Amino acid sequence: MQASIETRDLTRRFGSFIAVDRLTLRVERGEVFGFLGANGAGKTTAIRMLCGLLQPSSGTGKVAGCDIQTETDGIRSRIGYMPQKFALYPDFSVEMNMRLYGGLYGLKGQALRDRMDVISRLLNLEPLLSQRTDSIPWGWQQRLNLACAILHKPEILFLDEPTASVDPVSRRHFWDIIAELAASGTTIFVTSHYMDEVEYCGRVAILVQGRIAALDTPVGLKTTYGHASLGEVFLDVVERAQTTSSTQ
Amino acid sequence: MKASLRRILVAGHKEFLHIIRDPQTLAIVILMPVIMMFLYGYALNSDIHNAQLLVEAPVPSAASRALTSRLNASTFFSVPGSIPASADPLQPFRSGQARALLRLPPDFEASLRRPGGAALQVIVDGSDPSVGSRMRGAVEGAVQKTLMDYLDIEPPHILDQRAVVLYNPEQRSAMFFVPGLMAVILLMISALLTSIAITREKETGTMGQLLITPLRPGEIIAGKLLPYVVLASLDGLLILIVGRLIFGVQVAGNLFFLAICSLIYVFTALSIGLLVSTIAKRQHHAMMMALGATMMPTVILSGFIFPISSMPLFLQVIAHIVPATYYLQIVRGIILKGVGLRELWQPLLILGFEGLLLFGLSIRKFRIKL
Ligand SMILES: Nc1ncnc2c1ncn2[C@@H]1O[C@H](COP(=O)(O)OP(=O)(O)OP(=O)(O)O)[C@@H](O)[C@H]1O
Ligand SMILES: [Mg+2]
Repeated sequence: MQASIETRDLTRRFGSFIAVDRLTLRVERGEVFGFLGANGAGKTTAIRMLCGLLQPSSGTGKVAGCDIQTETDGIRSRIGYMPQKFALYPDFSVEMNMRLYGGLYGLKGQALRDRMDVISRLLNLEPLLSQRTDSIPWGWQQRLNLACAILHKPEILFLDEPTASVDPVSRRHFWDIIAELAASGTTIFVTSHYMDEVEYCGRVAILVQGRIAALDTPVGLKTTYGHASLGEVFLDVVERAQTTSSTQ
Repeated sequence: MKASLRRILVAGHKEFLHIIRDPQTLAIVILMPVIMMFLYGYALNSDIHNAQLLVEAPVPSAASRALTSRLNASTFFSVPGSIPASADPLQPFRSGQARALLRLPPDFEASLRRPGGAALQVIVDGSDPSVGSRMRGAVEGAVQKTLMDYLDIEPPHILDQRAVVLYNPEQRSAMFFVPGLMAVILLMISALLTSIAITREKETGTMGQLLITPLRPGEIIAGKLLPYVVLASLDGLLILIVGRLIFGVQVAGNLFFLAICSLIYVFTALSIGLLVSTIAKRQHHAMMMALGATMMPTVILSGFIFPISSMPLFLQVIAHIVPATYYLQIVRGIILKGVGLRELWQPLLILGFEGLLLFGLSIRKFRIKL
């Protein structure tokens, strides 16, 4: 079966600085793939390359069967992307933002209305539809962000720190929806700093200074490194990677 | 192709919603042209109308009364009556009571009939040079004519000189500022507002979010510019309508041709806005750049207010780069002279060329930035 995401030696430099270093990975359809890394590890840069927003310096990659350098049109209609920084229109109402993104993905008329109904019910956004986007709380803005990213039923969903500074109840709800989407066949590629929620991922890659330092299932990682929690595994992996890179 | 057009319309509709939801932009679009028209039309009007003229007559006589009432009857001046001789004739100027003062000698009536004639003095407030010189000419002309009539003298027939003033026979400044305001307002909508709108999206990151949808860069630009083309067209129409109804400016030439030329100018201005937005990082940068690089040269160098021919060479060279210079030639040609493509192809060609050049440049820069 064809992989949802497949990269080989994907690299991105900014001047002499290497933000993403020879990233090689394969994510299967319907998988929830966690992408861990400290601030500046290169997570966002990697996602932006996979979405076709940023040209790689070298290496190759395929997303939803499309080449990330030459077939960006194909990629963009097949993926949903929730950026780290909120980027919807603050002066629009919740409903207007949804209508806009639906329209940009080619949804219209009754089909668009039906889809908006389904999504707003799924994310409990119904009571907020007519409110201005900048007037609703952050956690709800993130839900709207997710809503706009899944309106067009993407094959792959990229989530860049979707639950950053969101309260635990909303985070839980968020992950329920992510699990639901994955169960229906959507591939999820998600970054996070919350170790407890990374447990929900099928597999996890730990990124240190642009390089994958460890990649396994949460259980596999804990066994390999002999720790009880992923948090400890993460600190261990980062420390080891840094000592090896400094002794080099 | 159809999908692409639909996406452009969706993006254009979105931009339109931003505009109508933002009272500030809306005010600029609707009120600004009207306010500017009234400002230029009334406040900055250099047409002389009821300027205060004092007549100093130490000894009032039939001749001085005839002169006073004749001057008062003209629409140029308002003469409150004659005043006695004063020690300080400049006092009314300092206090702002008078714009002009006509001083008659005590023996005015008698000296009129003496060989050598009467010695009069005209003092004019020259702080506004063009108004000053026009008042001077007007006072001198009126005095001459009134006294000839009063003395019942026929002017000697040595020559018969007549002037014909073309295009704006009454020399009304409305005929002059309406075309100029078209150039300024269209530029403001097209260059200033678009550059701010695009920079805002870059600043808030929503531009990046648009790029992740199937919307292509070219479609984003098209969708972004579309509403501003509509707004600029509406404002052009608004200026023409207000100009017609309030200031009595009629378009002598072909309206359709005027519309086409205006669209070419709008295209050029939009390209400038686009170019600014590829350079500016923040909204206020975009605003400063658009104002400094486009609005100021347009107002000052295009020939809107100051004639290009009287500028120093260095500024003349710049004036011949400013797109509004050519647009102004075209609009004045169409509105005032009623001429068409045959006479205006040259500025139109240059304008179109500048538009294409700027557009190509900004598209290139826009893509590289992505
Ligand atoms: N456009 C750019 N130009 C120069 N350097 C960049 C650029 N984008 C990212 N970087 C650098 O690349 C590195 C990786 O950045 P990236 O945003 O991918 O990190 P991240 O893992 O997403 O971090 P965070 O957890 O803070 O979001 C950082 O050091 C950043 O400064
Ligand atoms: Mg990041």
